Amino acid sequence: MATKGVNAFEMAQAQFDRVAEILDLDAATRELLRWPMREHSFAIPVRMDDGQVRVFRGFRVQHNDARGPSKGGIRFHPQETLDTVRALATWMTWKCAVVDIPLGGGKGGVVCDPHHLSQREQEQICRGWVRQLARDVGPVADVPAPDVMTSGQHMLWMLDEFEAIHGGHYPGFITGKPVGMGGSEGRTEATGYGVVFAIREALALLGLEPKATRASVQGFGNVAQHAIRLYTQIGGTVTCIACWDEADQAACSFRRESGIDVDELASVSDRFGGIDKAKARELGYELLPGDAWLAQPVEILIPAAIENQIRADNARCVNPAVRLVAEGANGPTTPEADQVLRERGVFVIPDFLANAGGVTCSYFEQVQSNMNFFWEKDEVLSRLDSKMTAAFHAVSALADRRGLFMRDAAYVIAINRVAQACRDRGWV
Amino acid sequence: MIQTAEDVPRFDRRLADPARRVSRIGTGALGGKAQGLVAAARILDARRAELERPGLRLDVPALCVVATSVFDAFLERNRLLPLVAEEPRDERIALAFQRAVLPTEWLGDLRAVAQEARAPLACRSSSLLEDALSRPFAGVYGTKMIPGRQKDAAGRFKGLADAVKFVYASTFLHEARAYRRAVGEQAAAEKMAVVIQELVGRRHGDRFYPDISGVARSWNFYPAGPAEPREGVVSLAVGLGKTIVDGGACWSFSPAHPQLPPPVRSARELLDVTQRRFWAVNLGAPPPYDPMAETEFLVQPELAAAEADGTLRYAASTYDVRSDRLAPGLGRAGARVLDFAPTLVWGELPLVPALRRLLAACEEELQAPVEIEFALSLPEGEPARLGFLQVRPLLVSGDEVRVDEDELRAPRTLVASTAALGNGRAEVRDVVFVDPATFEARLTPAIAAEIEILNRGLVEAGRPYLLIGFGRWGSSDPWLGIPVRFDQVAGARGIVEAALPGMNPEPSQGSHFFHNLQSVSALFFTALPGGPAVDWSWLAAQQTVAATEHVRHVRTGAPLVLRVDGRTRRGSVTRGESGAP
Repeated sequence: MATKGVNAFEMAQAQFDRVAEILDLDAATRELLRWPMREHSFAIPVRMDDGQVRVFRGFRVQHNDARGPSKGGIRFHPQETLDTVRALATWMTWKCAVVDIPLGGGKGGVVCDPHHLSQREQEQICRGWVRQLARDVGPVADVPAPDVMTSGQHMLWMLDEFEAIHGGHYPGFITGKPVGMGGSEGRTEATGYGVVFAIREALALLGLEPKATRASVQGFGNVAQHAIRLYTQIGGTVTCIACWDEADQAACSFRRESGIDVDELASVSDRFGGIDKAKARELGYELLPGDAWLAQPVEILIPAAIENQIRADNARCVNPAVRLVAEGANGPTTPEADQVLRERGVFVIPDFLANAGGVTCSYFEQVQSNMNFFWEKDEVLSRLDSKMTAAFHAVSALADRRGLFMRDAAYVIAINRVAQACRDRGWV
Repeated sequence: MIQTAEDVPRFDRRLADPARRVSRIGTGALGGKAQGLVAAARILDARRAELERPGLRLDVPALCVVATSVFDAFLERNRLLPLVAEEPRDERIALAFQRAVLPTEWLGDLRAVAQEARAPLACRSSSLLEDALSRPFAGVYGTKMIPGRQKDAAGRFKGLADAVKFVYASTFLHEARAYRRAVGEQAAAEKMAVVIQELVGRRHGDRFYPDISGVARSWNFYPAGPAEPREGVVSLAVGLGKTIVDGGACWSFSPAHPQLPPPVRSARELLDVTQRRFWAVNLGAPPPYDPMAETEFLVQPELAAAEADGTLRYAASTYDVRSDRLAPGLGRAGARVLDFAPTLVWGELPLVPALRRLLAACEEELQAPVEIEFALSLPEGEPARLGFLQVRPLLVSGDEVRVDEDELRAPRTLVASTAALGNGRAEVRDVVFVDPATFEARLTPAIAAEIEILNRGLVEAGRPYLLIGFGRWGSSDPWLGIPVRFDQVAGARGIVEAALPGMNPEPSQGSHFFHNLQSVSALFFTALPGGPAVDWSWLAAQQTVAATEHVRHVRTGAPLVLRVDGRTRRGSVTRGESGAP
């Protein structure tokens, strides 16, 4: 959802203002929800491997916790700003609300570039981050998770520090832990699978059989790969994928009309999702420009890479055959492009609904961690399907009833739920 | 006839509409059992007015079929095919299947099925080979009941997921493999669908069960007295139908002569050969976790429990010791005998005419003799509910074999029977027989295990054989006969039920065990007391190939010829012309 060159938080507030109008929210509720409830900004001094001390800037924003403990990732990024974190925390509030899980929205970050930090230095940042916030986060207050450039290992360091400070075991403090160390089965697949659960329901609504559809996907990371896998399993055919080529510093599309094989392509890709072009060509894939994924004659587009990929300048390249866009990435469609899609009657599953499988499974992980009892994968994925399907139908029913586009309907449901929780608590 | 899953509406979790009673999850094939059920539901829909009568409501309980594409995806994605190809021990298969994950795209639907369930559920196998007209596989694959007792959806879902995996695993267990081998089918040809169906019955404290369950066939392989094969046969039991399909003690009668007394010498004898226990779903304290046990959620109480539950009203008579007679009903004190006299003799329940109409309707639809399974729920003050649990075509052989009465007494006749079953001719040179000198009823479980060992060797050597023993083969009650499973005798081309004092050889009419042997064209020779019997001395003189403590395997010099005339029910086993001592 973050937008380059635009203040992401201002954008989040503008979105909120529009929906607040639709909902006719009172002034106090608007004021409360336009801004985070709490913001933490702090310094993390770390003795580096060379013996010098460097001070890193850390943040944690708790946008709203009327519906439950705050939930959101921790990003390690050199361009991290408080406003980016505020925007992302706000969007987390809506995301948790749209899938109706009892959590609020939060986000955290540290201004740093892990590419230039040793494992020990990263560990010290993680521990320092927790030391600064140990009183303000925890299983019943605020539950962090991995995000940009953080992983399960970072979560374990943070958990260890938190437990050392509080003198006990609190696996529910943090999610995204490895399976066997308090993590949940199905977490890796959850976001991509969630996208396809929503696609499946949307196709039924559009009267399309999955096996009669084709899809084109942008991205070949975790979300995209699992989305492709499940979409193929329900009968669909992915004919094109696009991904970033590190060597060329440009994106490239890979097309095979008979359908791509996700395992085959994964076997010739690197850990960032970049695909070896020569090997792909040997496997029968046609190489096309990076934007070509958008123009494929398919029924479904799944942008599952980064933000701002369907824009005003390329939205008209979207093939007329496209009936559905499922936003696996955060903010892949700009507001201008969104307008073009609306005019063309394309059904859009908005990002914070389509990719909510990740946070839903994080919620499951937290529940399991708090119980210290872990479910089998069948249990996790069936619950995920139930949650995602129910959320999709709640949004599509409202869209239908009130003549709204899916994105607006999703915002209306989410913001209304949070506003209602604030009213129920007597805050406004 | 319904062929593929696409002929049945997709399960839609948004439409939890009780009227939408038949649905499916997945694509591909439905399997034999599900096809029959869907056909039965359509017959009922089309002919309800003709079939229903006041006081008896008919329905096919709500069901959802998990079609074979889910099975295929389960095996492939969990990489189970290499494992099952190794044919490992049952425990290894069971563990691997329980650990495997059901296909993601169908998990949400299964969860919704579990969530909607109000009554306990039955998970039944419905395979491509099973129940097909030419190869009925009834009872070979797993069935599991799920209590639905758990208040939380998670508990119900877990029970359902475990049960589906149990049915999948049962496709590859030892018994199923042996069966497929015996009928010449490859494992690769088999695919499994699963029928998830609401159980018919009522709750009584910690138990849930139907007042009466039954199996009705429109063709009787075991006609007795004035009964004709075409009149069919019905078997009834109190509680779940497991009593009948496992070959336990139940009540069998011809629907054309429901009041005919059974072939016993005294009413006292009925106490020994009628149902004494019944199966029910356990709604009480959770049992020890054992997902691979078919009986995990089942209990088998004594009849007294059913009487306390008030479910014997239409099923029991009372034995009067002084007169050695039975009085229908529960009006006086005494031992209860489940002869269903209030229903069959007094006609308090219009069951028999309803079954006759149903058998005829199902025969018309399937264009073949049929077997139906049903269950009755008889709530006080409400119409009785007759629920269909299964419909399948029956295999009836058409070969013409003639056995004259004279042959039964011919000198070369080794075994003779006037109550033979099946129809056809076969030749064998191997005979496995239970030694009459050492036989005792208490030893039957050990004898079953010994037979299994000999059977395995004969199947591996590709040698069909004749099996001779005492009492009711395949009985689940070791005191009534030798409790073998089908796979333990799968290589037998002929089976003899020899008479011995204290063992009642009256066969169980509804047993899947007999049905399965019939389907592989095994011939039965029931040697009734006082009738033509077995030439034991000749058998004892044959060359011994192997012997266990209670069982011998002998080989004859010349082939033995097995023949059964299905029309006259005469059957004989005769010694060949040369080489025999």
